[in-house]
Amino acid sequence: MRLKIIFCVLLIILFLTLFPLMVKSEYLLNLLIMFFLYVTIAQSWNLLGGVTGQISLGHSAFFGMGALITRLFWVEKVPILAALMGGGVSSMLLAGIVGIPCLRMRLAYFPIGTLALAIIAQIAVGNIFPLPGSLPSEYIVAYSISSRYYLALLVALLTISLVYGMTRSRTGLALVAIRDDEGAAEAMGVKTFKYKVLALLVSSLLAGLGGGIYAYHQVSYYYYTPFELSWSFLPTLTTFIGGLGTMVGPIVGSMCFLALSEIFAISLGEIHILIFGFTFILIVLFFPGGLMSITQRFHPFSLMRSKKKGVS
Amino acid sequence: MGQTLVYGILNGALYGIIALGIALVFGVMRYLNLAHGSFIILGAYGSLFLFHLGIDPFASIPVLSIVLFVAGAILFKTSFSRLTTFSEGNKIKNSLLLSFGLMLLIENLATLIWTGDERSITPPYSGLTFGIFDLRIPFIGLAGGILALVLISFLHLFLTRTYFGKSIMAVSQDHEAASLMGINVNRTFLISFAISLTLASIPSVLIGLKAFSPTGGIQWFNKGIIVVMLSGIGNIYGVLPAGLFLGIIEAISVFIFGAPYREVTGLALFVLIMILYPTGLFGIRIES
Repeated sequence: MRLKIIFCVLLIILFLTLFPLMVKSEYLLNLLIMFFLYVTIAQSWNLLGGVTGQISLGHSAFFGMGALITRLFWVEKVPILAALMGGGVSSMLLAGIVGIPCLRMRLAYFPIGTLALAIIAQIAVGNIFPLPGSLPSEYIVAYSISSRYYLALLVALLTISLVYGMTRSRTGLALVAIRDDEGAAEAMGVKTFKYKVLALLVSSLLAGLGGGIYAYHQVSYYYYTPFELSWSFLPTLTTFIGGLGTMVGPIVGSMCFLALSEIFAISLGEIHILIFGFTFILIVLFFPGGLMSITQRFHPFSLMRSKKKGVS
Repeated sequence: MGQTLVYGILNGALYGIIALGIALVFGVMRYLNLAHGSFIILGAYGSLFLFHLGIDPFASIPVLSIVLFVAGAILFKTSFSRLTTFSEGNKIKNSLLLSFGLMLLIENLATLIWTGDERSITPPYSGLTFGIFDLRIPFIGLAGGILALVLISFLHLFLTRTYFGKSIMAVSQDHEAASLMGINVNRTFLISFAISLTLASIPSVLIGLKAFSPTGGIQWFNKGIIVVMLSGIGNIYGVLPAGLFLGIIEAISVFIFGAPYREVTGLALFVLIMILYPTGLFGIRIES
């Protein structure tokens, strides 16, 4: 069983690596880049919100920070990999300076506090950089979609493996313990604050890398666009709908979100968000484990039935 | 400067009324209703619709109140009532998530129906002001301030003088003890949720007279939650002074930093308070 899964994953990775060599359609490649981007940000959110239970509505601040710094460095002729690193680290620094105080807030104020930070960041960046950031002409001439594709794939794989590695380790156990019962975890000797900070920092680093991919992929955008609140709502929705705290959940959720948004791309008024919002409500009310848990719940021999009510 | 303060105070009264609805739900059943702002925006569209039928915006308040009361009752029955048995922390978290989904739903539905354009209700008296000394005071803003005072007094009388209001207070203090005393806790929850949405009718008219768009809900929710934090959770009487305080602080910050950072001031204040006083300023403690 285990071997089979590993084999399947390797096969998928191989397929995705060879994909740009076989398919030249820019539409499909762009779609896949967006998919990797969504997976990156959803999985990074999942580490903080799903595994550790600290629901953040301010991921757009980290995502946007990564995009902003990567773009500024890159336009100044810094190699893209170094610029990407710079973006990730600056996003982590932002989380360290303003996010850690938010973790000190009592239970439910963390989402509101991070939401407040995201709005502050959006307004501040919109005022400091009011003009859209375009690429210099030589960059546009040299623009190649496949390099964006591979970098996005790399970051997505890095994110998935890092989150997987963290959840399967001792650290992961501590994080899950914090989510399930913070007081009990503290009583068992888990340094809850330390682990929450760790989850926040890793999560913001990954979100910042995702932002860097956005900055590398888009030719021209307003600097505040990646700071928009929809980048906070997106990972929350996709992770919840896929399955909170699972590895496959954010990937499935992102896939559904992308598929729906492509289907309804022509109609005005973002019907896909409407559908997703409604599904989200249903999932919070009836299936706190997400889509992945629905099959599990109706499985007659399943031992992993969740008796717990609600999202903890 | 004096003029800035006047606008600050009048805005502050509006923030106070918005916060009242959020504070009631949060105080009584520990629900954080992120969609409160979106309901205000919905109310503003309703008021605009009635205005096109020839009804004065202020006269539309009773109609909106009834509609919102019924909507609140239905909403509670169908969704929020499922969360009442959760522990306190899970209640806040789940209601937040639920209302977050609701907010997205309302925003996108409103965009679909009325497009994303900014609108406003424009009765003939919308721009009128009168002068005291050398200050100009807009009629609508003053009406908002008076309505806020009336509303607070009514709510106070309702909560302290009527049997049902007393039962709401009892449930907010300890819902288990209240249910042992023979209070129908679920009905109290239902009614207070519906009242909270009813309270959204007045800000929706006041905001409708300014300007509104489908996605503006979260911004008004933010004002409300900042005021709730300032006044302390469960403290309904602190809401109006805290609203005025926020309005004045905002006005002063606009005077110093300029209009673009208007939103930032309140939010920064919120984050600071949450860091320095993690349980809220004068609020009651919440167990984790």
